[in-house]
Amino acid sequence: MIDIIEAARAAGVEWLSLYAFSTENWRRPSAEVDFLMHLVRRVVRKHAPLLHARGIRCRFLGATDPRIPQSLARDFADLMTLTSNSRGMTLTVAFDHGGRRDIVEAARSLIHSGIPADAVTEQTFAAHLPFPDTPDVDLVIRTSGEQRISNFMLWQVAYAEWVFPPVLWPDFRAPHFLQCLHTYQQRERRFGGVLPNQNGEP
Amino acid sequence: MSHANGGHPSSSAGAGATDRGGSSQRLDIVEGARPMFGPGSQFDELFNDPRWALAMIRATVLEAAHPQIGAALIDNSTFVAHPWRRLRNTLLSLQRMFGADDHVRLREAARLNRLHARLNGTDARNRPYDAMDPGARAWVVATLFESTVTMCRLSGQPLEQAVMERLYGEFRAFLAALGGEPGHLPYTLNEFWPYYDRVVEEELENTDAMRIILYKLFDHLPAPPLLSGLPTLWATGRAVAGPVIGAITVASLPEPFRRRAGLPEVPGTQTLMQGAYLAVGLARFLPDNWTRAEGIADLLALSPESDDPRARTVTALADRMKRAGALLRLITPLPSSLQPMAQTGTHRSAQEFFHEVLDQTGDGYLDWPDLAAMARELSSRLDLDEPEETRLYNAYAHWWRELQADLDTDGDGRISAQEYSTAVPSLAGPALIRVAEVLFDVTDKDGNQSIDADEYRALFQTAFHRDTTGAYGTYTRSAFVKEFLSFMSGRQRSTPYDPLLTEA
Repeated sequence: MIDIIEAARAAGVEWLSLYAFSTENWRRPSAEVDFLMHLVRRVVRKHAPLLHARGIRCRFLGATDPRIPQSLARDFADLMTLTSNSRGMTLTVAFDHGGRRDIVEAARSLIHSGIPADAVTEQTFAAHLPFPDTPDVDLVIRTSGEQRISNFMLWQVAYAEWVFPPVLWPDFRAPHFLQCLHTYQQRERRFGGVLPNQNGEP
Repeated sequence: MSHANGGHPSSSAGAGATDRGGSSQRLDIVEGARPMFGPGSQFDELFNDPRWALAMIRATVLEAAHPQIGAALIDNSTFVAHPWRRLRNTLLSLQRMFGADDHVRLREAARLNRLHARLNGTDARNRPYDAMDPGARAWVVATLFESTVTMCRLSGQPLEQAVMERLYGEFRAFLAALGGEPGHLPYTLNEFWPYYDRVVEEELENTDAMRIILYKLFDHLPAPPLLSGLPTLWATGRAVAGPVIGAITVASLPEPFRRRAGLPEVPGTQTLMQGAYLAVGLARFLPDNWTRAEGIADLLALSPESDDPRARTVTALADRMKRAGALLRLITPLPSSLQPMAQTGTHRSAQEFFHEVLDQTGDGYLDWPDLAAMARELSSRLDLDEPEETRLYNAYAHWWRELQADLDTDGDGRISAQEYSTAVPSLAGPALIRVAEVLFDVTDKDGNQSIDADEYRALFQTAFHRDTTGAYGTYTRSAFVKEFLSFMSGRQRSTPYDPLLTEA
């Protein structure tokens, strides 16, 4: 994983999101969930100093479920605090994330703030999503040959390009990542219309 | 400038040499006399002296040794569980009482009187106590005055007689502004010393409250909000400083009292104590802003997210502290075994909630003074006047009766942590809803049935920041009541109530 983060940073990617654990994953056997939680905790702690040193701002999307062990939640909070002033790449780890839930939360937040229905636009709505500074996603890489969205950042992937490398996630390394980037650069992005100048084109 | 007991010529004793003739019925208007309160007064010069911190501790110990005051402190005070909040409230109150603005002073005096009128009962030996007792109130003022004089004496810069008399006059005027009967604090400084010695010799006792301040508080002093992210660092510093502060304070107490209360004589502490006073005294030569007493207390207690103009600096500092603490925790090696996974993040356990929120006095039981302390804190935050303040207290009192009826299973009149957690608490009865509604009414100052930005700030003193739990723009009555109930009964963390009621 740290491999991919390094490759992305070196390739000039400014926003990288990883989908670590979905709200649906809680349905897995509890021993597996426990093991996973422990593993995540080790990974977070192991790489914290490096992420900090590289100037990578880290944050965790989701991560609100009370089933998340307190010690892990503390580490998440610590890593976010530690790197909050970093201005390099922003790494968003979607943990206990659900795209629909984010949208529901945004709706709830809009209603709380008493905005009249007529004033709700795509922009005001997006401002109430968690981490509203996150831009639209350009590229989604779905590994392991799966071809599903799986409730991942539903709002933000509206205009995303998708690639589906067959390689399994544990085997996915920097060269695979660069290959996906290359594929993306060949795509013609039209955002529903015809745009003369495209992002990333000379 | 007018006075609460205006026209009492004797109150001006010591207010200045030119004020002696008694030709004026007004207190302090005599040409050339220094003002009793505000800039130019003797108190104002001493208030920001860093030695005041030591003097205040000493005065508090002497107050707590008074049986009536000690009993009131033991029963009602939150100083064990929330010492920093209390320190800030005390300094703010003194500043209002001694400030130049008469209107502010009258209002603060009325507030203090209402607050103290609610503090009465009987002590462990069944003797009645009453925070409005004129003798006890005079003693509080006496200890503040005497500790100020002593702090100067101990640090080798005794006050001159004229200065001392002027200061005494100001403290008497302070008592008078509180509406105290003048007779309880002697008219002149010459009469004061015999009075002081007599109380020390005859009335002071080795009270529980005094022992708690001397020995328990400094050993268990919780970290102020600024340092709360670094518990280890704080504990280390406290382990060294705590006993030293205790020893210094003991050594500075009047000898006859130390002897009678059986306080230990540690060799060398006299020297240590005088050294400490001297060293702190030298800090007076630091730039002004570094040593403003209420400034320092404020900074320590200031929540980094508050909208105070200084918050930006504090936020920067607190951010660094937080990041350092975060890094320290992250690089600390993990124990190799799997951690227990039962703990949860957003809900606290019944035990945690009991100790962090309900037990405001920190004595291990939920009792009326705990709920009264919450009402008191909310009243102070919202700067309530009558009749709103009484409405809030009544709502809390009503809730207390409901709790007592439901949870006090052994019938001892108070609720233990055990009783609370075994009852699988259903706190959200009609009385608690009433508390929420009254709180809404008094927060909604303009009465437009919604709590808008300014009113919200007044209650929580926090800047707006969105988090995933919801945006706080305006609050309707039902949303407000719902959130209050979810904090008090659902034990939800991360609501704005946390900093309000749990912070030390």
